[in-house]
Amino acid sequence: MSRTLAVIWLVVVVILGANLVWRVHQGLSFRTDLMALLPRDEADPSLQRVNDRVAGSLSHRVAFLVGHRGRDHARGDAARLARALADSSLAEIDDVPSGRNRFAALGALYFPYRAGLLAEDDRERLLTGHPEALSIRALSQVFGIAGMADAGLLRRDPFMLLPVFFAALPLPSSRLGVEDGMLSTTTDADMTWILVSARLLGDPYALDVQDRLNAAFEAALRVVRTTDPEVEVLRAGAVFFAAAGAKTALADMSTLGTVSSVGTVLLILLVFRAMTPLLLSLLAIGVGMGAGLSVSLLLFGELHIMSMLLGLSLIGIAVDYSLYYCVEIFAPGERTPRQRLARVMPGITLGLVTTAIGYATFLLAPFPGLRQVAAFSVAGLVASFATVIFWLPLLDRRGPARHGRMLLAMMTVLWRFWRAPNLRHARGALLTTLAGVAIFGAWRIGAVDDVRRMQSLSPELVADQARMQQIAGLAIGTQFFVVRASDEEDALRSEESLLDRLHKLVLSGALGGYRAPASFVPSAQRQRQNRDLVRTRLETPLLASYLARIGLPALAQEPEADAGADGVLTLAMAANVQPLGTLLSELVVPQGVQDGGGVAHIVMLDDVRQSDAVRIAAEGIGGVDFVDPAADFSRLLGRYRRRTVGLIALSVVLMLPLLALRYRMLGAVRVMLPAVMTIVLVPLAKAVFDQPFTFFDAIALVLVLSIAVDYAVFCAEADAAYQPVALLGVAMAMTSTALSFGLLARSQVAAVHAVGSTMLIGVALAFLLASMAGRRRDGECA
Amino acid sequence: MRRRRLLFGLAAAAGTPGHRVRAQFRTMVRGEVLRGQFTQERQIKGFERPLVSAGDFVLASGLGLIWRTERPFAIVTIITAAGLVQEVDGAETTRLAAVRLPFFARLYELLGGALSGDWEALETQFQVTRHGDARQWDLALMPQAGADKLSMPFSSVMLRGGQFLDEVRIVRLDGDSDRLAFSGQTLGTGGLSDAEAAALRRAGK
Repeated sequence: MSRTLAVIWLVVVVILGANLVWRVHQGLSFRTDLMALLPRDEADPSLQRVNDRVAGSLSHRVAFLVGHRGRDHARGDAARLARALADSSLAEIDDVPSGRNRFAALGALYFPYRAGLLAEDDRERLLTGHPEALSIRALSQVFGIAGMADAGLLRRDPFMLLPVFFAALPLPSSRLGVEDGMLSTTTDADMTWILVSARLLGDPYALDVQDRLNAAFEAALRVVRTTDPEVEVLRAGAVFFAAAGAKTALADMSTLGTVSSVGTVLLILLVFRAMTPLLLSLLAIGVGMGAGLSVSLLLFGELHIMSMLLGLSLIGIAVDYSLYYCVEIFAPGERTPRQRLARVMPGITLGLVTTAIGYATFLLAPFPGLRQVAAFSVAGLVASFATVIFWLPLLDRRGPARHGRMLLAMMTVLWRFWRAPNLRHARGALLTTLAGVAIFGAWRIGAVDDVRRMQSLSPELVADQARMQQIAGLAIGTQFFVVRASDEEDALRSEESLLDRLHKLVLSGALGGYRAPASFVPSAQRQRQNRDLVRTRLETPLLASYLARIGLPALAQEPEADAGADGVLTLAMAANVQPLGTLLSELVVPQGVQDGGGVAHIVMLDDVRQSDAVRIAAEGIGGVDFVDPAADFSRLLGRYRRRTVGLIALSVVLMLPLLALRYRMLGAVRVMLPAVMTIVLVPLAKAVFDQPFTFFDAIALVLVLSIAVDYAVFCAEADAAYQPVALLGVAMAMTSTALSFGLLARSQVAAVHAVGSTMLIGVALAFLLASMAGRRRDGECA
Repeated sequence: MRRRRLLFGLAAAAGTPGHRVRAQFRTMVRGEVLRGQFTQERQIKGFERPLVSAGDFVLASGLGLIWRTERPFAIVTIITAAGLVQEVDGAETTRLAAVRLPFFARLYELLGGALSGDWEALETQFQVTRHGDARQWDLALMPQAGADKLSMPFSSVMLRGGQFLDEVRIVRLDGDSDRLAFSGQTLGTGGLSDAEAAALRRAGK
């Protein structure tokens, strides 16, 4: 029977192994964006789709600024980098509009409709009754140096309002000028900066895209640097941040994998002083890891680098079952491998079930990435468990160990600490200390959900980005408004209500700038209003005296009926003219992305300095939503942090009846007590050291709960003679877990650090308290 | 803009101790300030009369040009590498960024090059023909073939000068023309008033 099961398990392992080999051979694909790990906002799927589209298009943007004191050097270097990028076929370099056409086409588009086009400031002046400001400005332009006015222009646009509208258009990277086919600017330090912008063709969060892009870019940069050591290159783009993050995670992963494996091996060798337990444990770990990986790939087709990282920590838990089994050799009396397995069977089965319950809560919450972690972990743990119960007894030929008296004696001390009547005061002192820590921590504890503090953004790239903004006024914004309406005109009108408010925020400094379809093409309603405004408030009172002053004969009626009295400019006309076509394609979401045939427009924001003020600006305007991915995401983290705490409580409740089946209700409570104490104490203890409670701490607590219950179950299972042996197993399990998760605590990524430190403190505390769950009726220890 | 140092200048007796070198046109150096008066006569087709304005100007090498029109009414125009700013009664009425309107970048280079004597700068934009000697000279500038009409809306520019630049005639593509006459020019160092320096800073933002 047992051999049959072992063979069946072998077949399963071989199939999973074959799948893994095949997938690795095909090339694994890793995801690296932290966002992909976390839940989506399901409340408004249509809005979510629009957001995804905008976020996707923003994340594909890449830009770099090449600076050099020599203009020709800067230009040459920029050209070389651009060529390298284009040759790699990873990115498409944006066209630089030629000087000749850049504005001529725009002028031709707007000129016939000029009567309805007013710069925001001019409109404001007319609305507030200051038309003379416009006529003074026109006079100063006619008489001043560099006057562009000619009679033809003045006849058609006497107050020269169109050039002002034109100059106020929010064209991007406005600090740059086109010079001989390149966007460039010069800074005070006499540096010439050339901007190269591009659109990434691959997925910026795919590891291989990042690798190839970085390789191509770095190679080109090395060549440029050898010829031009003084060149400065600044980079911006989500892909660079993602690549830097992935590099950190990969570095963490390889250190973690190595150190925790070596540590676990050493631990086993030191304790057992033999090769067999090591080989058995490695077998259990190896099968667990391989099965976890294989099943995840089967289920998801790809892996997230964070799931890998958290999954790797599973080494520390997967080894537990084999450790519990192997540690039985220290038990008194002669036993066969099968008898040893029978002894630990209830403990490891309960352990597996409680851990699986813990991970199953990951499945209850809609976290796409954490589902991967859960699948990886559950598959891995089940495989390790199966390996231990089906294979280990067959492979194990060892008799009882002759050494280990020291280790067991140490365990007895801990055991005695919780039992001996004469140590009551010491116990009291420990519990009081813990209570003190809890109270002090409870006073200081605070939750943090800000996603910007969870990711560790490369400081170098953040600095690059800030300088790019300073030099070129170029920012790849992340915040925007989505304007949804039934048709274009309604959308433009809503935008105008919004822009009127945003304009005030720009003046007050809360916002750097904004760009909306309505900035380029006002609604038909607004164009008509503008026409009336100019006629009634500017031309009627001031035109005659103004013309007399400059000496231009009174205007005939409208000289040519360019756009007719009623013509209005539409988005469709503007979309055919560059650079508006490209700009508008980013601001007007194509039909079909959102439900019900309506239209969706984007209002892009630059340099949001007070995001609350900006958020409030949309209030009361129907169909307008502020999207601040980082803030929305942080709110989501907060919501799921609270939900996870709820799930932990639910797990406790679910575990109780399960444990009660074996220990009765009172026994179950006694087994749960150390675990519950642990999960309450860990965040409070961290708070003492000013560490906030985050979503990621909550997730780690789910694991801590499972592990702590596991430890307690082992202690509860042991009768008097076996108590030190059981505790030795727990000690080894704790050490191996601490080895793997403790290293996570050293990670640069705040989220991973949170998981690691919570686990580290958690398992240590769980071990310390586990013997409380020991059976009271066998009071022999005292 | 890329050639910010090319402002103009001229110099008299530049520095050789003991010898009074004959006054001649030379490139202005950074830190020098040129002051003078101007009269501008703008001929625009279809207008009843030329638009005449007059005032004074301050050119600070490397910083920019302040053009103070006093007649027929007060307008201050400040041209820097960043663009053009006009102020009436201390209030800004117009601000045009050079990058948005390449014409102003060219104008800055043209006036800067002409007044500072940086012919090299002018030669990248124009075909330059020179007559006369250092004491009395004139220059004819023709846009380079294939020049962008939007950023170079001139058909010809004539410059005349001696120790200083005396006259500029600009003929536009549409036949309108400007005549600028300069007088009373003086060149010195460190001569910007606080208000002037502040105006240049405001405009350069």
